[in-house]
Amino acid sequence: MKVTGRKFSPGLDRFSGLYLWGLFFVLFSFMAPRTFPTMNTVHLLASTEAIAAIVALALLVPMVTGQFDLSIGAIANFSGILAVIVQTNGLLDPVGAILLGTAVGTVIGMLNGFIVVKLKIDSFIATLAMGSILEAFLVIVTNNREPLPVDNEFFTGLTQTNIFGFQAVFFYMIVIALIVWWLLERTPAGRYMRATGFDREAARLSGVQVDKWSFLSLTISGTICGFAGVLFVSLTGPSLGFGPSLLLPAFAAVFLGSTQLVPGRHNVWGTVLAIFVLATGVQGLQLVSGAQWVASMFNGVALIAAVGLAVVRRKKLSRPKKEKSKGKNQGGGSLSASTQTHGTQGSSSAHHAGQVSEKRVEV
Amino acid sequence: MTAPTAVMAPAISIAHVSKTFGPRTVLHPLELNLVPGEIHALLGQNGSGKSTLIKVLGGYHAPDPGRGEVLIAGKPLDFGSTKSAHELGLRIVHQDLGLVSESTVLDNLAIGAGFPTRFGTIRRSQARREAAQALAAVGLDISPAKRVAELSAAQRTGVAVARALSRHGGKVTVLILDEPTATLPAREVAHLHEMVKTAASQGVAILYVTHHLDEVFRLADRVSVLRDGHIVLTRDVVDAPREDIIHALVGGAVEPVRREITDVPSENSRPVLTVSGLQGDALEGVDFEVRPGEIVGIYGLTGSGRESLLGTIFGAREREGGDVRVDGAQLAGRPASAINKGVAYLAPDRKRGGGLMEMTACENLTLPAMKKFFRGGHLRIRAELTESSQWMDRLAVRPTGAVKAPLASFSGGNQQKILIGKWMRISPRVMLLDEPTQGVDVGAKAQLHRYIMDASDAGAAVVISSTDAEEIATVCDRVLIIRSGVITEQLTGSDISVAELDRRVLRSNESKVETS
Repeated sequence: MKVTGRKFSPGLDRFSGLYLWGLFFVLFSFMAPRTFPTMNTVHLLASTEAIAAIVALALLVPMVTGQFDLSIGAIANFSGILAVIVQTNGLLDPVGAILLGTAVGTVIGMLNGFIVVKLKIDSFIATLAMGSILEAFLVIVTNNREPLPVDNEFFTGLTQTNIFGFQAVFFYMIVIALIVWWLLERTPAGRYMRATGFDREAARLSGVQVDKWSFLSLTISGTICGFAGVLFVSLTGPSLGFGPSLLLPAFAAVFLGSTQLVPGRHNVWGTVLAIFVLATGVQGLQLVSGAQWVASMFNGVALIAAVGLAVVRRKKLSRPKKEKSKGKNQGGGSLSASTQTHGTQGSSSAHHAGQVSEKRVEV
Repeated sequence: MTAPTAVMAPAISIAHVSKTFGPRTVLHPLELNLVPGEIHALLGQNGSGKSTLIKVLGGYHAPDPGRGEVLIAGKPLDFGSTKSAHELGLRIVHQDLGLVSESTVLDNLAIGAGFPTRFGTIRRSQARREAAQALAAVGLDISPAKRVAELSAAQRTGVAVARALSRHGGKVTVLILDEPTATLPAREVAHLHEMVKTAASQGVAILYVTHHLDEVFRLADRVSVLRDGHIVLTRDVVDAPREDIIHALVGGAVEPVRREITDVPSENSRPVLTVSGLQGDALEGVDFEVRPGEIVGIYGLTGSGRESLLGTIFGAREREGGDVRVDGAQLAGRPASAINKGVAYLAPDRKRGGGLMEMTACENLTLPAMKKFFRGGHLRIRAELTESSQWMDRLAVRPTGAVKAPLASFSGGNQQKILIGKWMRISPRVMLLDEPTQGVDVGAKAQLHRYIMDASDAGAAVVISSTDAEEIATVCDRVLIIRSGVITEQLTGSDISVAELDRRVLRSNESKVETS
């Protein structure tokens, strides 16, 4: 393979998401000409998907660092509901409630970080458990009754204010995307996180403080999720079960995003693009079919397809270098290899999935 | 043990087997015969072709097409097929043994062979009986219910041997042991030898691959020496004086051109790097000093502590005791703090710990010191790319201009250049280079050596640990021989040569046996 810098090509590879998006527009405009191709659909998608996108951006940060965060939905849910309760009970004003929700998310993120980095529990397990614990707390603070919506114009206006036909929440998403992009692509911190995620040991030996960045990435994820939860209740009112529905689209978007624009890397704009491509697909199918199960089906299939694509790409990338492999018995079968990376390092993320399955091929 | 007579039919007979990789001939056509019950020691330095030979016999490599033939108990081996080797009764115990340490001895013995079952259910009692038999066959007296992790190193090797010899899958005629004592503590070696002898007494031909000369005399009936892909000596051990074997091993190698010392580091100049009483993985208290501008080599057998020394100094591996100072300041034992004090460490395996394969050449180059590009709240990517391409030009990395290509897309030699550049870029006070030219071609190797000398001329204290005696002899001003985790000897000036290095390593190995 000839080595070249990243060059512009119209190939189906890095822009496949854009092509798919275009295809959706054409297809659904044709199938539902009266309901789909309207400004209404655009505005609706922009504001309903803004929070999904913010949560996906939250997830992106630990994923870049090689850590899973399965508690994103639960953090958003818990923080959002808490922000509602403190207001309806007259404990805090809206600004205080927003700050509290965000702070609670941050603390939970730090807790995740502590469990992963200090207690050396794999992030997959740690955040899965954290999600369950938060669900319990949600029931404790609400008594399992849906809290009353906040009757405060400032609080609802926070997200629902109309700007050029779009609700304000869409612009929050843009701002957060810009901040995360800056962090990941334009600061040394972002580079350290990426190095940690790609190869923890190599990063450590290059002087990167891998534990610190793992901790911080989970903390940042918590902070953004806490804020996203507050935005959600401001936008659509409190509901006890909105968290879990954010989890899968976020993962689908992060993985699909890693095949887009900068293939092979989890990246901000790929993730945002993926969220909206998937949402357009869901929206269109729903308009056409009227079925209720479309979203779950679509997101599930998309997640598998996205990870599949990422794995295939990774294999292609590392195939051409032909060297005599000295490693006598690396991995020892795919199962033990994957449990090793999961169990001991706490650094594996599914973008290592490609490497793991490759080892199997070598062995 | 009775010396086997030549009348017996060979258990394995290797004839005209050769192997080339591209332009490199690793094995020249060679002959080797082993009779049943014979313990045959195979000696050879690193890169002599030992492992290639084992891989050919095990069916991992097909030899060059031609007249090459391997007969096991008279039947021809189907080259390139691990199944054929197994069916003909050839077993290999690799250095890493392949045991599951968290499982019991019983379970480990059943791996591969499979448990005896009745209607799909494991027959525990029969499995236990078979395990006991297998262990008895190597004279190993341990309970099959013990976990492998609880065993001593020799016992573990014994279990691997027992498993290789167990009757499942047919009669075993040939057993190959690949450096079984490389990681074994000296006091457990005798135990392993007993087990090997017990196995041989049952008629199995044993090819015993080793670095350790003394094992030949204590264990083997016959000995062969492999050098540069040739069998240069095959004899009964009683007819082979130690001097002959050493001579065969080291050979009359041509002396390579050594580095011309332009500025001999003054004996009086203060050392940059001071290592005292360093303990850790296989290290039992290492002391040495390196002065600025000096290139010091670390040479020793595998298992001597050579592999872990530099990593332990840097903090890549855990330090268990002792003290490392750079310019008088203590190192905390973490990579980040070592780098802050101006210490660079080139890891021995660029794929595992050395380089970030998915990241670009530029990102790899700048990772240890990139804060200078962060100005005004923004990473100055263009400045970073410019500086990186300057480095890549300076190091003659091919293809040119590929600063944004992922490290994985470069050839091994160019990857290594980028990684050495990454450390030269921080102008280190101390450079610790672990196998700096691992798996690179001759041209790149010479270039890398030049860069190392450049860094040294710029005043860095350089330490090179390598299995490549020629490399050490070419580049180093001073060589420290390490054995059993301590520095035992020092070579300087004209004493440094490939032959002398190997002689010293082998000799220090002799004295190890005498003292233990």
